[in-house]
Amino acid sequence: MIKKHTEEKNLTSFDRSFSSNIFFSEPDKYKLLEEVSHSSDKIINLGTNLSYSPLGFFKNSLSINIKNFNRILKFDKIKKTITVEAGLTLIELLNFTLKHNLWIPQIPGYPTISIGGAIAVNAHGKSCAVHGTIRNSIKNIFLFHKIHGWLNLSENENKEIFDLSIGGLGLTGTIVSVTFNLTNIESTNFITQKKKVNSIKESKKFILEDSKDLAYIYTWNRADNLKSFGKGLVYKNVSDKTSNVFKNFKKIKNKFRPFVFPLWNRYTLNIINSLYLKINQLSKTEQRDNFLNVIFPFYGRESYFNFFGKKGFIESQLLIHEKNFDSFIDEFKSLFKKYEPTITLLSLKNMSGKQKFLRFEDDKICLTFDYINNKKNMIFMSKIDSLYPKYEILPSIIKDSRISKETFRDSYKKEFIQFKDKLISFDKKRVYQSEISNRLEI
Amino acid sequence: MKYLIIGASSGLGQELAKKFAQNNHDLVIVSRDSRDLNAIKTDLEIKHKVKIDILDFDFSSIDEINSTLFSEQNLLTDLDGVLFPIGMMFDKDNLSLNANDIKKLISANFISIVHTIQKLKKNFIGKKNPCIIGFGSVSGFVGREINTTYAAAKRALESYFESMAFDKDVQKINIQFYILGYLETNLSFGKDLKMPKASVKKLSDIVYKNKNIKFKKTYYPRYWMLVYLIIKLIPFSILRKLNIN
Repeated sequence: MIKKHTEEKNLTSFDRSFSSNIFFSEPDKYKLLEEVSHSSDKIINLGTNLSYSPLGFFKNSLSINIKNFNRILKFDKIKKTITVEAGLTLIELLNFTLKHNLWIPQIPGYPTISIGGAIAVNAHGKSCAVHGTIRNSIKNIFLFHKIHGWLNLSENENKEIFDLSIGGLGLTGTIVSVTFNLTNIESTNFITQKKKVNSIKESKKFILEDSKDLAYIYTWNRADNLKSFGKGLVYKNVSDKTSNVFKNFKKIKNKFRPFVFPLWNRYTLNIINSLYLKINQLSKTEQRDNFLNVIFPFYGRESYFNFFGKKGFIESQLLIHEKNFDSFIDEFKSLFKKYEPTITLLSLKNMSGKQKFLRFEDDKICLTFDYINNKKNMIFMSKIDSLYPKYEILPSIIKDSRISKETFRDSYKKEFIQFKDKLISFDKKRVYQSEISNRLEI
Repeated sequence: MKYLIIGASSGLGQELAKKFAQNNHDLVIVSRDSRDLNAIKTDLEIKHKVKIDILDFDFSSIDEINSTLFSEQNLLTDLDGVLFPIGMMFDKDNLSLNANDIKKLISANFISIVHTIQKLKKNFIGKKNPCIIGFGSVSGFVGREINTTYAAAKRALESYFESMAFDKDVQKINIQFYILGYLETNLSFGKDLKMPKASVKKLSDIVYKNKNIKFKKTYYPRYWMLVYLIIKLIPFSILRKLNIN
């Protein structure tokens, strides 16, 4: 390992479940990116380190952060395409494109996520029922690989590597720039409607019915105790066409600083969730909402994550077919009764797409659970893991950092084998590896 | 208005290019790698609707300066100023550095800058507020074991900029010289430094704000002036024993 332009540091995953001592580099020139890549045997790409699981680092490896590659390389308003460097953050991209009433609609939930990171995890946003994942907006990728050098990737050029790189967890090389096909946006203001629901099954009914013609529909449900399990709200965000004055968003910094002691527990959750539900029931059922609030729901609400404390949390995100949903929820609740896990958040949305390789994408319902990181919850989650084959559930390895090699393989089956085979045939030395890829033997 | 920035591909140079472009100035930017220059060019042209010309060549070579920069006279005729946020460093720059590398370091950090200023001066005649802005280094405060030649070149450059203040021909040009401490750039990345790293963005704001001042020699961050005064007050024999490098 050449130490020039690198520093040693300890990195922790966003969910705080993994930490490693790594080598870290932030090249700011194309030549320097080549030099630092050639200086290390094992490399992985690090975006803004907001991945819940440890995708951007691996013990004693070089993590390359290309935050200095954050420039706009080409913009064609007529053809609605933009080429940007992959270190650009979502908010920086939107600050430019929204001025032209254009955007990519597959925007994951925090404004400082990098474009490269969003592509590497095949990110999706709230409107994934209609717009699918970021894959649908990508036209071309410019990639640097330590062995293969610079590669243009698209449907017409190096198609196989293009396909592997979207949702490829950064294992195919460093995504340096990308060309997006942009979509018109009528307004950057929204009207948020909310409706009370009494169960998960009722929530499912709403999201399946309304997501046929509505882009943004998702739920917030209680899961802090069995009695209130599923009670919650269905949110719908409708474009507010009456006003569309776009003002640049201010520069945003990450505000994630976990408290020393966790504040989430069974009692605080009961109080906060009851209050939240009550306040929402008493407030207007329809109100104007701004872009940041709708698209980046956790921006300004970072305390939710900080309240988990230094031990962090585990997020489980699952894709399940509509036909299996009710039976799974019944079995989930029966295990809930037995193991009494502490769940801070439960949310539902609909998703569209086609599952391939490691991508978390399908025409299924997306269920999200946030758990406090403790022993009791780990046992409960392992029981839920065992239900995946029975209900044909696909878990997200981007969100769930605890998932075992066996569960992963049983869930991703031949798609995992194909991804691994193609990756090895492209890169026999497997230069790019992360903590997760190593543990799951990808 | 139009400015020439030598060493604009990263760090302070890139930040200065951003600052000047944000203020609607056209630019000629110079660096060795056209890939970096093209990325900066497109970004600034798209965002700020200015015109950016790029020249990629090795600034440590006088021949390349003459054959590339000064062969493009049409780019230089309407220049309003030139900035030199350039600094070449070698890992093995110590008292044993070979002659070729010494020549390269002295050229990039001193001779090439002086040569460019001498040839550009005539372009500034009749301009309203032309400026020549140079950047030194706190490493030039006192002799040192590492970055020996770099520090010597930067000290020479400081002296040259001071000399320009006395020159009658140059007196109509605004001359500024910044003696820089550690900056948040890749030159200091991963290094265990004794003092904090300062923001290049703040520095570019200061440089832009000061560009119309007649003559200015200043330290950035300002506390380096105090460090300089302390070093100058300490007898050299004691400095040697302290080995502050």
